[in-house]
Amino acid sequence: MIKIEQLSKIYGQGDDQVVALEPLDQQINAGEFVSIIGPSGCGKSTLLRLIASLEDPTSGSVTLETANLKRPVGFVFQDAVLLPWKTVAENIRFPLDTTGVSRKQANEKVAELVELVGLKGFEKSLPKQLSGGMRQRAAIARALADDPPILLMDEPFSAVDLLTRETLNDELSRIWQKTGKTILLVTHSVEEAAYLGSRVMVMSPRPGRLKATYDVDLAQPRGEQTKRDPKFLDLVSELRTLMREMTS
Amino acid sequence: MFLKAIIGLVGITALWGAAVPIFDVPHYLLPGPIDVAERLIFLFQRGDLAWHIYVTLSEVFGGFVLGAVVGIAAALAFARFPLIERVLTPLILLLQTIPKIAIAPLLLLWLGLGAAPKVALVAVVTFFPVMTAMLSGIRYMNKSYADLSHVLRLSPWQRFWHIELPAAIPTLFAGATVATTLAMTAAVIGELMGANKGMGFVLATGQENADTATVMGMVILLSFVGWALFAILDFARRRVEDRFL
Ligand SMILES: Nc1ncnc2c1ncn2[C@@H]1O[C@H](COP(=O)(O)OP(=O)(O)OP(=O)(O)O)[C@@H](O)[C@H]1O
Ligand SMILES: [Mg+2]
Repeated sequence: MIKIEQLSKIYGQGDDQVVALEPLDQQINAGEFVSIIGPSGCGKSTLLRLIASLEDPTSGSVTLETANLKRPVGFVFQDAVLLPWKTVAENIRFPLDTTGVSRKQANEKVAELVELVGLKGFEKSLPKQLSGGMRQRAAIARALADDPPILLMDEPFSAVDLLTRETLNDELSRIWQKTGKTILLVTHSVEEAAYLGSRVMVMSPRPGRLKATYDVDLAQPRGEQTKRDPKFLDLVSELRTLMREMTS
Repeated sequence: MFLKAIIGLVGITALWGAAVPIFDVPHYLLPGPIDVAERLIFLFQRGDLAWHIYVTLSEVFGGFVLGAVVGIAAALAFARFPLIERVLTPLILLLQTIPKIAIAPLLLLWLGLGAAPKVALVAVVTFFPVMTAMLSGIRYMNKSYADLSHVLRLSPWQRFWHIELPAAIPTLFAGATVATTLAMTAAVIGELMGANKGMGFVLATGQENADTATVMGMVILLSFVGWALFAILDFARRRVEDRFL
């Protein structure tokens, strides 16, 4: 469970102050899939970074109930952040190498993940030899490697082509159902948010704050039939209207 | 480039060889290239010159490794604990302004005539360029790597070994290139001031005996050895660098 209480973030000092996030209360139960959407600059990344304690909050707190795990969260950064001197396989294996998992076990896990994200044949490539979308997929595989209970994903699919994106969406949905992870996914795609989420948080900019939340009442597992479900289409159009209001 | 360098060397040697008889320079002032070459060959065959080169190189190597390890450790300490940096930086800068030649006699007094003072002097001159290179490597490291380290809860050692050190490789090579040139000079200075072995010792002996051919031969040999070290480092840099940029 993630308990967010009066959490806010202000960047900068004096005249340069930017209110990235106004005080926010939210409780995310274990096993929820929360999609976060909102226009650029509304504090989506800030919220994820606060939850991962990559930023210190200006006020409020985030409590993760994860049984004092050493690594409670896996994070997929907006710009992949692979280590350029490590190969794809070494990058994916990195979280395992740094927790003393045996080489053999780690390699098996890496092979499985490489398959999952469709990077077979590129294990020995360096990140700079990959396209943006492939790098992003390697970063997703890395975040999954040591199986963290909470997965924070900051626009993980933004650089991925549409077809691969749909495949990865389905894979993520499947992983979520299978593992019961708590997932927070930031996306610019309203369809993706509704298709994957059990809840959608809509944020609005200047100042960044939570505008609305929607419980997504769609049958699991999601699939092609979901995309034709009238409830799905209604939600998508409602979210889209909301987004349009904010950006105009 | 290599070819041009050889052509240039051959040209200069030819000019030098021609100038000696044409201007009738006395041999004790400027021996010809052939005299110098003969002297070097003699020193190799009869005077353990190869061993002296080995001695100097091991001092350079030992001091370089020592200076680099301490330099990298200091950079890490500075990056992690800004207070240490604020306290120590003025002191280090002050020490940097002391001419290294002036430290050499002191080190000889403290550490005797063996390899130790030379190794120490090499370490002193290596320390600064390596330390600044490592520090700027860490400072200008991609900020996201720090985020990744935090998310993965890396230990300080893991952070150093898997992230900070590889991220600093390009700047470290730049620092090491500066350091090798200084290191070679430092070892020879140490040997010139008091030693019974090493290239500087052979050079000093040549000077004491007014043996210009030996002195010139050693100077040429030193520049070759210095160049070879530089070339090895440059080769290593090319081999690894494009992976780390
Ligand atoms: N390190 C920082 N220093 C100063 N201001 C920042 C910093 N990071 C973010 N901001 C500001 O905080 C606000 C929210 O930024 P944030 O990155 O969270 O937005 P976002 O919703 O993720 O946007 P995008 O969709 O473009 O990624 C923006 O106005 C941004 O300019
Ligand atoms: Mg963002």
